[in-house]
Amino acid sequence: MGLVLWIAPVIAVILSRIVNNTKQLHIISVCASFIMLLAAGFVTNSVVSYGTLTYKFFVSAFYIDAVSIIVLDITITIGFLVSIYSIGYLDEELKHKKTTSKKIKFYYSMMYVFIFSMVLALTVNNIGIMWVAIEATTLATAFLVGFNNDEHALEAAWKYVIICSVGIAMALVGIIFLHLASIDVVSNENALQWDLLYNNAKDLNSSVLRLSFIFILIGFGTKAGLAPMHTWLPDAHSQAPSPISALLSGVLLNGAMYAALRILAIVNRNLDDSGFTGKLMIAFGLLSISAAAVFIITQKDYKRLLAYSSIEHMGIIAVAFGLFTPLSVFAGFFHMINHSFTKSMLFLASGNILQKYNTRKISKIRGLLKILPVSGTAFLIGLLAVSGTPPFSIFASEVNVFLSIFSAEHYILGAVFVLLLAFIFAGIAFTLFRVFYGEPQESQYIRRGETNKPGTAVLIVLMLIIAGTGLYMPGLLKDLITSAQMIIIGG
Amino acid sequence: MENYYDLLSVLILLSSFVLVANKKTNAYIKTFRIQSAFIALTAGIMGWSSAVNEGKYDILIVCAIIVALKVIYIPHLLNKTYGNIEYRIEKDFFLNIPILIIICCGLVVFSYFSVSNIGTLTGFHINHQVVNSFSVVLIGFFFMISRKKAIGQIIGYLVIENGIFVTAMFSTHGMPFIVDIGIFIDMITAVMIMGIMVTRINVKFESINIDKLSKLKG
Repeated sequence: MGLVLWIAPVIAVILSRIVNNTKQLHIISVCASFIMLLAAGFVTNSVVSYGTLTYKFFVSAFYIDAVSIIVLDITITIGFLVSIYSIGYLDEELKHKKTTSKKIKFYYSMMYVFIFSMVLALTVNNIGIMWVAIEATTLATAFLVGFNNDEHALEAAWKYVIICSVGIAMALVGIIFLHLASIDVVSNENALQWDLLYNNAKDLNSSVLRLSFIFILIGFGTKAGLAPMHTWLPDAHSQAPSPISALLSGVLLNGAMYAALRILAIVNRNLDDSGFTGKLMIAFGLLSISAAAVFIITQKDYKRLLAYSSIEHMGIIAVAFGLFTPLSVFAGFFHMINHSFTKSMLFLASGNILQKYNTRKISKIRGLLKILPVSGTAFLIGLLAVSGTPPFSIFASEVNVFLSIFSAEHYILGAVFVLLLAFIFAGIAFTLFRVFYGEPQESQYIRRGETNKPGTAVLIVLMLIIAGTGLYMPGLLKDLITSAQMIIIGG
Repeated sequence: MENYYDLLSVLILLSSFVLVANKKTNAYIKTFRIQSAFIALTAGIMGWSSAVNEGKYDILIVCAIIVALKVIYIPHLLNKTYGNIEYRIEKDFFLNIPILIIICCGLVVFSYFSVSNIGTLTGFHINHQVVNSFSVVLIGFFFMISRKKAIGQIIGYLVIENGIFVTAMFSTHGMPFIVDIGIFIDMITAVMIMGIMVTRINVKFESINIDKLSKLKG
């Protein structure tokens, strides 16, 4: 059943190359992601009951544990919601002659190549193949970022593909050193298998492993959008079509963070101390939060603002994993989930806004709640949530991160952290909240009402999710996060 | 055998110095081809010895793939991409060549101090080979930021990839076979995508000078 996760997207890619009719393409896409959603439910169930799910093949193993299932479920759920949203979004683009049915075909095939490589990265045991799959996600999304094919989109796509490919090449150097550190411990046939490396972590060569972690953190950190390697992120997120921005922000960044986390667990187990990795992670994390704070307060483009907010949240997650106490790792995973859903909702809502107002400038948008009642509300709620206001789920996980910082007695770090988040809240409130009031400018002829019906339904579902998990955490989710935290911390 | 490896690692390093000293895009592609040929030769020797001693043919297959991809196909693809772009002589680098070379020497010294001590801890005799190949990675990076044209960046990326591959060969006798294959697939796709983008950039911006890609800021 787990293999359905690999087969379904491949079939979707093949079918979307064959079929020409746009309506049929929509149906194929929704069916494929729905099948994946069912399979993911099944896989989650077996992970909850048995701990890990593995199938052995001739070269490598299909391997899912609680850590991968969390990121995998995020990926597949958001993939499903985005596939529904895309129907309305692409039809609207087609109606205004901004795209062609041939390009829609391309869009769907690339989207499922992306989802396939993402799922592959999350379900393999071999770190080398994980790297290959994460690099493949960059390549699959490169043309999606440049989908609009104007000067801006092309510039964003070029930066994206160059910076991410080179960055991730650094991670490959790190993986080679990891292989070198393990060469006397793990036999050649089993080289780079994560579970073996993790179980034999104590015997690895510490000095090589340290060097390896630096490269891996820089490499996957580039992909996860940690400052100062984040420069591709605002460009790519703002220029990509909005459903793709939602996927990039909600899925791709987590995938890179997940890969770094896997190695982090090995290194910390080897060194028997999280001091070395912790310093690096917290430094990159804090730098990301501060970079985001500065750019958010001066931002004029709402999609870029959301992108910088993603950098901020990746920074928070990096700080949480850097602290490496049971509470902070728990908070890190919880924050990962919350950020993914909230940020996807914001990007999807921003897609509706962009199609309505036809501008990315904050100053040109007024009276949002009147023009787009549902998307506007989703955008408002999303902004409140993403800046950390109760009762939404991001608030819950941010409080957990605070608590873990202070209970680990890092008072200065905690103070700086709280101050930066307050600054970001003020920045978002100051720059973006004005779009909800006032009247739309006279010169713009804008009709009221939502155009993207399926997309509106998706936004409502996402609103319920983020409001719900802020108040009540389902027992299943808590068990999963706890077992993921046990795997990472060890013991 | 080690003598050959030492010699080849120095030749590979030397070819990346030649690359930095090149002025024309055609010459970049030629130098890249020569460097890849050296790498294929290294893989060939290593593969031959592992086939004789252990009866494994993995590395020989990898060697054949390198010849097909890096020596023949990718340079051909780059030449074709370059042919599509209107030929125009532009100054392509920010600093002049002697300074670039001196900086590259500094990079070699830097990589000596950062990676030379890690090799002795394992069973392999790898010190200088890894230093040389790791320097190729750094020089690849430096080449990328020192050139203004998009094609220069693609070559820089490929040189980084070459350097990583040689580092893996010299330090661990190559990655697991399946991972190597995956890396090759990724690399060839990346180069194709970059090639297509360069053509599009040339159409939209009427130049492949990446200085012009500066509209997105803040």
